[in-house]
Amino acid sequence: MFNFREELKRYDYSFFGICTAIFIIGILNLYSATHSQGIGPEEGLYKTQIVWFILSWIVGIVVSFIQPKNFFRLAYPSYLISVVLLVMVLVVGHSALGGQRWIGFGSLKFQPSEITKIAMVLILSRWYSKASPEQEIGFRELIIPFLITFIPAMMIIVQPDLGTGMLVMLIFFIITFYRKLKWKTITIMAIIAMIGATVVYNFGLREYQKKRITTFIDPEFDAKGSGYNAIQSKIAIGSGQFFGKGFRRSSQGALNYLPENHTDFIFAIFNEEHGFVGSIFLIALYIALFYRLLWLASNVNKIFDSVVVVGILAIFFCHTMINMSMVSGLMPIVGVPLPLMSYGGSNLLTFGICCGIVTSISNARNLF
Amino acid sequence: MFGEDDLVRSHQERADIILNVIVISFAILLARLWYLQIYHGKMFFNYSLENRLRKDVVRAPRGMIFSRNNVLLTHNVPRFDAIITPQYLEGDDETIGYLSKILETTPESIVKTLKKYQGQAKYIPVVIKKNISRREVAILETESSKLPGVSVETFISREYTDKDSGAHLLGYISEISQEKIPRYRDRDKYDYKQGDFIGQGGIELQYDLEIRGQDGYQFMEVDARGRARRHVTSDDLYSGIDNKPAEPGKNVRLTIDRDVQLAAYHALDGKDGAAVAVDVESGEIIAMVSRPAYDPSNFSTGLSSNYWGQLVMDEKRPLRDRTIQEHYSPGSTFKPLTAIAALEEGIVDENTKVVCNGGYRMGGRVFHCWKKEGHGVVDVLRALKESCDVYFYSIGNKIDIDVIYKYATLFGMGQRLGIVLPRETKGLIPNRQWKKEQTGVEWQKGETLSCVIGQSFVNVTPLQLTMFYATLANEGKLWRPHVVKEVFSNSGQVLKRVEPELIHQFKIHKRTWDIVHEALFNTANAPGGTAGASKGIGIQMAAKTGTAQVISFSADKIFNKCENQEYKYRNNGLFAAYAPAGSPKIAVSVVIEHGCHGASAGGPVAKAIISAYMNKYYPSYQKKIIAQENAKMSWSQIQEDNRANPVPMVLENDTKDYFDETGKLIRPYTLEKGGQVQTGPLE
Repeated sequence: MFNFREELKRYDYSFFGICTAIFIIGILNLYSATHSQGIGPEEGLYKTQIVWFILSWIVGIVVSFIQPKNFFRLAYPSYLISVVLLVMVLVVGHSALGGQRWIGFGSLKFQPSEITKIAMVLILSRWYSKASPEQEIGFRELIIPFLITFIPAMMIIVQPDLGTGMLVMLIFFIITFYRKLKWKTITIMAIIAMIGATVVYNFGLREYQKKRITTFIDPEFDAKGSGYNAIQSKIAIGSGQFFGKGFRRSSQGALNYLPENHTDFIFAIFNEEHGFVGSIFLIALYIALFYRLLWLASNVNKIFDSVVVVGILAIFFCHTMINMSMVSGLMPIVGVPLPLMSYGGSNLLTFGICCGIVTSISNARNLF
Repeated sequence: MFGEDDLVRSHQERADIILNVIVISFAILLARLWYLQIYHGKMFFNYSLENRLRKDVVRAPRGMIFSRNNVLLTHNVPRFDAIITPQYLEGDDETIGYLSKILETTPESIVKTLKKYQGQAKYIPVVIKKNISRREVAILETESSKLPGVSVETFISREYTDKDSGAHLLGYISEISQEKIPRYRDRDKYDYKQGDFIGQGGIELQYDLEIRGQDGYQFMEVDARGRARRHVTSDDLYSGIDNKPAEPGKNVRLTIDRDVQLAAYHALDGKDGAAVAVDVESGEIIAMVSRPAYDPSNFSTGLSSNYWGQLVMDEKRPLRDRTIQEHYSPGSTFKPLTAIAALEEGIVDENTKVVCNGGYRMGGRVFHCWKKEGHGVVDVLRALKESCDVYFYSIGNKIDIDVIYKYATLFGMGQRLGIVLPRETKGLIPNRQWKKEQTGVEWQKGETLSCVIGQSFVNVTPLQLTMFYATLANEGKLWRPHVVKEVFSNSGQVLKRVEPELIHQFKIHKRTWDIVHEALFNTANAPGGTAGASKGIGIQMAAKTGTAQVISFSADKIFNKCENQEYKYRNNGLFAAYAPAGSPKIAVSVVIEHGCHGASAGGPVAKAIISAYMNKYYPSYQKKIIAQENAKMSWSQIQEDNRANPVPMVLENDTKDYFDETGKLIRPYTLEKGGQVQTGPLE
């Protein structure tokens, strides 16, 4: 029987708590990034973002009351739906910035590749918990999960959104690694991946995607696009020094030296305004979130739940790490948002749903 | 469903590895942040505070266009815009007020312009006034301390030596508007950016990719007010920044002779129409003029929107290149074609005689001759010389339209000739199949009668008419008409050379050529010839006049005086010629819209063009021609004289190509050290 008081008593507030904390930092930062000097057309962005946040958290909380066994049941349907949506994007999607990533329901625009990430986690977890869970995973066991991942990943890459496509593949790898992928297999996969990357780079990439990669490896190749952004981003971060320039004092972002400063480069603005101290604080929050997720993964009593939690950890971690690395010049600029900080409704919704799922799993853990 | 606890616990090892990876990743990230913020923090801070980085486009100098004799026809002239960079604008009212005084405009209009671009990034400059005078430039520069955010930007305008006279041929360039950039990107597969100029029309369009060059870029450090401080090159801080020099555009040398072109242009003063002159033995276009024209310089100097509006609204359509984009009924200039077809097909021979009494009856309809009282008894020679319509009606009664089609096609009519210029039209030579497909109605015999005198469906471009007469002159060689001789780099290296190309060559009876040549010579030189008035001195032209109705008149109006009609109903006047008749070098056609008569409207133009050409290139040979003229020699006497006392036709004054010992072309014009073609400013 559903007892609301009982539910609240064992409700795990930690995930929504940490995420809300990060979001509050994010919204202040977004406000600052769009309000530093002068008035631009981006004035109202932070309001939209708050609306998205509230909506996402409501959805997340609703999800948190779903029993984990229902996620197990939802694995296949959600996967199918996301594949259908991806096909729709390719057929009727909206174009933005040279890519076809959006799909519209009336005035609402939405990126199906976001939902795909969650669906991928669910279906892979279900597969791994059902198919010989006792075993370690070798090549033979890898065939079907690989196909499951590869189909949507390719559809995302041809949109073209190389960043998200690679991200999906990375999430697949982390989940599989957690489910005891054999070390021998990992070694062979690494070799194949290296050869594959060479082939894909030479034949499979769009010109601008190639440019981004070559800019990273050899910045002199094209200083017009990504090289310029990377340098401006470095200046923004570096100029923050130890304590930062202070709230609403960013000059790099305000003067539009940083393009897309409210999405991909939000971390650079944060660093400029709050310095090394600020970033230590922010990173501590992210690490707390990841540690909590990993702890949860090891302390649930169903292998499905455990793998789902690791999958969601993978989503959060990959986004965070890739974004921070590219903004600080450790990686090529691939256009991956920073969870809970970057402007954008679709990814907030994704993280809201993720929070809901892990909270639900955490709540069920104490139920005997 | 319980009891998986052990299974979950067995993954602890992997969970620990993941935790390690997370911790190590963040450790690396923090090390990186420490490196940027603490180790290099001061340096980056200074950069963000005091210095800004700006990337300026370095525009590639556009390649030049030369005449066949290496006269420069284009100039890249530096001009100036007054701009405001909103980011650096201070003391708005004061600054804008002062600026408006200098630029002689109102503060309101400046504010309005700034508002229009409010949406874009504040470091992008807004153009306040285009093409400001040198005086304004000087004031803005000296007063710059009182005008924070205001600066002067140089741009290069494209200006043309002979203004209107080559408008359609050379084309013009204009800035691509923001909304059209995607369309041109698709068309050219070229990454256009804001502020790019693109060739529009003529050579500027057709050779745009070659003339344009490749823009480079240059990073600049600017101070807090947006003033450039120094050029940035790759160093410790800016590792990864490299400037790219601009690659200058390539130059084009035309086949056009500037003097003949100007002669043609001025001969057409006050008229609407076109003239095309071509080298008979190569297809090189020597002059090509369409009027009314426009000044192509205006498109890149900033006056464009107003000027453009005028041009588009003008009902005479000055933007249209009448030489290749417009077609006309050739009228009687088409008759040599009918004569050739009839002679070749045995429908008439040189002895066939027809009585002309001013009209030709077929079915229930009378077809009028232009001469109301009739020509009397005429043979083919006289029919061509005096342009007797009745003689050709009698051919039209016997000949099939498909035969006319066959011969007209041989002479290049009714098809694109493949001149490398934009939007060449096909013209029209009808045949049975075409009529059936277009209208669903079978060909009517009466239509053939109109077609054989160059009316009705028959339509040719001035270029086609010229090539028709060039092919008449050289007896069956249809050359590909072309306007470009070569494309060469600034160092003088020839990158592309356009060789004369034969479209096809055909053979008909020598006797047929002889009849037509004699008839056309007589038309311009013998008493009674319709083109006699434009005979000229020292050019020995063979010619044919033509007058084409633009609407059909009822029988009572057809002989009304053309000049009394409303302008737009007046007949078109045509004139086609080649010269010298004894050994042709140049073919010319002239179309004068609503010029009433070919002889009076077009003749003087053709005479001027041929005279300019002969005077310049064959002055020595002209002596022989003048001697023949003074002796009033007939066609057969001239041929006899040419055989008995041959004088070689030496081409004079044409620019020769000189090569140095390494085989590199040496040019008469000077090249600056950097390889950039030297051009002075135009005022």
